[in-house]
Amino acid sequence: MKRALALLSFGTALAFLASTPLLAEGNPATGKTKAAACFACHGADGNAIDPQYPRLAGQYNEYIQQALHEYKDGRRNNPIMKGMVATLSDQDIEDIAAYFSSLPSKLDTLKGHTQGD
Amino acid sequence: MTRLQWLGLAAVSCLFAVGTSAQAAGDKANGRKLIYTCAGCHGVPGYTNAYPQYPVPKLAGQNEQYIISALHEYKSGDRTHPTMMAQAQSLSEQNIEDIAAYLSSLKPAQ
Repeated sequence: MKRALALLSFGTALAFLASTPLLAEGNPATGKTKAAACFACHGADGNAIDPQYPRLAGQYNEYIQQALHEYKDGRRNNPIMKGMVATLSDQDIEDIAAYFSSLPSKLDTLKGHTQGD
Repeated sequence: MTRLQWLGLAAVSCLFAVGTSAQAAGDKANGRKLIYTCAGCHGVPGYTNAYPQYPVPKLAGQNEQYIISALHEYKSGDRTHPTMMAQAQSLSEQNIEDIAAYLSSLKPAQ
């Protein structure tokens, strides 16, 4: 019985760990305030009108975080984005990603859009 | 310059403008064929990149010029992602334009 309980609690702990997302969730409301500088190009609704800038609305949260980190550390070399992300903290990045990923999206995966689908 | 010469110059300029804009447009039908490989990762909802782990981006409905820039950046090394660099290397300029034309024309599946 004791062993069973121990196993059970161990299992519960594991399940809890597995359910926590890899990267912590940011706060979309705070993110909206922090994202003000992004709106000029990416749109306040996250759907850039100028086709040279990406739509961010509804993009995966962790992908936006990853991209921002890459612009910051140089794995993506883009002069405009490098300047924009220079002053962002990890928490800022999480909040901004939480905001844009929460917006109504015009994006989709390629599922159902390939030849033969 | 005579009026006729001006007219001729204007006509040639128009032809040139039409010619270049037609060249810039990608072929959506060919783009649809070309993205077969992309769908292996980008066509699986929630599919994650490994090391580090994060979901591969949604591309259907993305803006045209941005897709072209992104593929150029993977090709030139301004974006460093091993798989995407290899994929972009295999694409011609026309391929990139075709892919961007097709992806940007898509609407989310209902």
